[in-house]
Amino acid sequence: MSTSKLSDILSQLQKSSSSPPQKITSLLSSAKRELLTLDALLPRPTTPSPILLLARQTLETGALLSIRLQQPDAFTRYYQQLLPFYELPDSSYQTSTNDLKSQRSKVTGLYLLLLLTKGDYAGFHTVLEGLEVEQAGKGKGLEGDEFISYPVKLERWLMEGSYDRVWAATKRDGVPSEEFGVFSEVLIGTIRDEIASCSEKAYPSLPIANAKNLLFLESEGSVVSFAHGRGWVVKDGRIYFPQQQDDMRTEKEILVASGQVIENTIGYARELETIV
Amino acid sequence: MPGERRNLRSNKETSSSANGGKARSNSQSSSAKDKPVPTRSTSSKSKAAASKKATTSGKDGSGSKPQSNGSEPVQNGVNGTNDVDMVDEDHETVNANGEADEEMTVVVPPLRNSNPLGPKDKDSHGDIAMDNADQLESGEEEIQQIDPKIKAVSDIKANYALLERAVTHFDARFTLRVLRSISSIRKYLSSDLLAQVFTETYPATNSTAKALLAAIGKEDASFNSPVTTSDMDPDLHKDKLKSSTAAKDILPEVDFYLAILVQIYLYDTDNVEIGSKFSTNLVEKLRTLNRRTLDALSARVYFYYSLFFEKLAPLPPSPTASVVSIRQPLLQALRTSVLRKDQDTRATITTLLLRNYLSTSHISQADLLISHSEFPATASNNQIARYLYYLGRIRAIQLSYTEAHEHLIGATRKSPSTPSAGGFYQAASKLLVVVELLMGDIPDRAIFRQSSLEHAMQPYLSLVQAVRVGKIDGFLNVVQTYNTAFRRDGTYTLILRLRQNVIKTGIRMMSLSYAKISLRDICMKLDLDSEESAEYIVAKSIRDGVIEASLDHEGAFMKSKEVGDVYATREPGEAFHERIQACLELHDESVKAMRFPMNQHRLELKNAQEARERERELAKEIIEGDMDDDDAGGDFEGM
Repeated sequence: MSTSKLSDILSQLQKSSSSPPQKITSLLSSAKRELLTLDALLPRPTTPSPILLLARQTLETGALLSIRLQQPDAFTRYYQQLLPFYELPDSSYQTSTNDLKSQRSKVTGLYLLLLLTKGDYAGFHTVLEGLEVEQAGKGKGLEGDEFISYPVKLERWLMEGSYDRVWAATKRDGVPSEEFGVFSEVLIGTIRDEIASCSEKAYPSLPIANAKNLLFLESEGSVVSFAHGRGWVVKDGRIYFPQQQDDMRTEKEILVASGQVIENTIGYARELETIV
Repeated sequence: MPGERRNLRSNKETSSSANGGKARSNSQSSSAKDKPVPTRSTSSKSKAAASKKATTSGKDGSGSKPQSNGSEPVQNGVNGTNDVDMVDEDHETVNANGEADEEMTVVVPPLRNSNPLGPKDKDSHGDIAMDNADQLESGEEEIQQIDPKIKAVSDIKANYALLERAVTHFDARFTLRVLRSISSIRKYLSSDLLAQVFTETYPATNSTAKALLAAIGKEDASFNSPVTTSDMDPDLHKDKLKSSTAAKDILPEVDFYLAILVQIYLYDTDNVEIGSKFSTNLVEKLRTLNRRTLDALSARVYFYYSLFFEKLAPLPPSPTASVVSIRQPLLQALRTSVLRKDQDTRATITTLLLRNYLSTSHISQADLLISHSEFPATASNNQIARYLYYLGRIRAIQLSYTEAHEHLIGATRKSPSTPSAGGFYQAASKLLVVVELLMGDIPDRAIFRQSSLEHAMQPYLSLVQAVRVGKIDGFLNVVQTYNTAFRRDGTYTLILRLRQNVIKTGIRMMSLSYAKISLRDICMKLDLDSEESAEYIVAKSIRDGVIEASLDHEGAFMKSKEVGDVYATREPGEAFHERIQACLELHDESVKAMRFPMNQHRLELKNAQEARERERELAKEIIEGDMDDDDAGGDFEGM
């Protein structure tokens, strides 16, 4: 009987994408409570497959909704809870209908994107390695999956520095589904910062008009305010980047270096003495 | 006192030879220098074989071993069975030693009988019991060279004595010896042979014997009395041994030794089902016992236990693999072994668990295991090499390439050099090459020229060449061509990460060769899509310190800066310092690794005393001669 209650809440949730956040949150927590009473928050060997299916669906819906509500922490929690469900073999679900298919790749793709925007490249690659091995076992590549390949491509472009491609990919038509669009804003912020720090080092100076294009900003006014935010000097329609003087070796540095050399040499002498 | 000091030094030298390392040369030189008696060299040689830990020191074994069949096991290794190969390697090495033993007994037969008396006078650094054991076994080998099966049976039984000695002397080295002898026996293992051994060892009512026999499918074997078989071999040691085993209860060590033989037999004959069940029961039994002398044996039991489950369907990459089911028992065993300070089992299980996690790519769990457990520093070299390999792999996935590089260097250096362990060496070298590439280094060409690696490393050689040239096209081609090989080695995802390195290398080459180059040319040379991309990429490389250059947006070109003189910086000094540090560490470690026999210092003192007396006598003679110094007696070393 409680199963029907849960599926009730679930169908409400699935229709509720436009409802106010408070309502969604309360619905989600009541769904989780139901799951708890069913003892299905964690899959056990004894859990019957309809309940497993329901639990997975609930958690997936919760994950997707929390992305929409821009709650990355909640999303991460849902993802972690979903993992044991994804580890189960397909046979434990016993579904034949296509509409109940797992949204695994979507959720995983979103999680990868989240890691990417947080700059957690180690975590990103760890998850990816796991996926790769699993896919290889099934005989198909990851490249075929649009939800997964999207963050993978983004990461590749970010690492090699093709920021223009990242920019193109974050536009509306480049995004595989609307949940992924939530991250676009954050990603643009990330690449803008990246480009800015690269430009500081790479250019001695830059015309404002060009900087506008480079930084994907809408107007020259925003370029100027962005430049001020980073402490750049704007003069005669050009941006002058502060020069770094780290090339010059100061007197003090040499002193430190010679101290190091002396210390090392004495160390060798001491060691030699103990050996001989 | 120089005399005393020299004495001490020569002792050190010989005992380090007992420790493996350069056993061959050392023992020879010391025998030539110190005493001309051949007994000495045999004893120290056989001891080197005995106390050797079968791994790093594999060199002295392989010296006497023909390497003609080297390429075949290496081929096996390519198929990812590296751990199995490592076991094999244990055996092979010991085989080589066994051969050496035999050779020696053939060369100096008459000395064998005098040996038992020998140790006291000739052996200033040895363990007497150990030598005896050596003699015992080699003696049997000589007698029974005719039939390897009978020899195997008697070898197995001879090992009981060693196990007993291990228990009474509480010395793990005897157990290790027993484990190493498994390799020579392994070839001849059959259900008949095992059944014969069991029936002769156990009384008919013994339940362990029944379990063992059931495992090899010989429940109906009849228990004949041990006396009948002992007629066959007149060896004195063995009769004694028989009577002792019959009289006493059979030690659990013997039980487990035989059980390990059964495990090996089942594994070699691909009886994975039975083997896994048998091993599960064995592990259950093992947990009820708390004997320190079982440590080395239990490590081996767990090793085969995990090996069986790896072979059970469903196979690893799937998350439901049967290896997952043994994580719980392994973790429990790890906890127990830590509490009991059981280093062998602890090291083995740690590596097994890591392998287990990595096989289903649960990398974060493996990482957590590493951070929450400490790997015993005294573990055997094989285990350390494995541990370092897995550690390097995890770190490489987590993008900490420097750390990964360090671990993998350790793994390749510590990896055994016998041809049968080639699988492990190959796997570690492959990963190392990829990690080096990811760090932006180009691996040394010499790595690919080693005969044990040449064939296996072919894809990686082309990869390195593609990265070195900096052509993204060529790189993608290589990845495409060797796709399956890379996937099989588990390096595919790491290699995909190399893409950015290829581009960086390309930019670097251009920056070095052109003082000024337009973005369009860069774009064309690197096969990039657009000039904008090229501009961003170059800007990023400048920021990351890959090149020293500046960009001009209006002119759309890149202008390289003058390259600074590297010798004006601190860099050479630092590199030098690093190397010296490594050498010093090596020295410290080798000092720590030396093993001194017990009560040695007393003998040394005696020797020193004698030497001093001799000196005094000599000095007296000199004084009584034509010299007239009166202080020569007191201050002799001044001469």
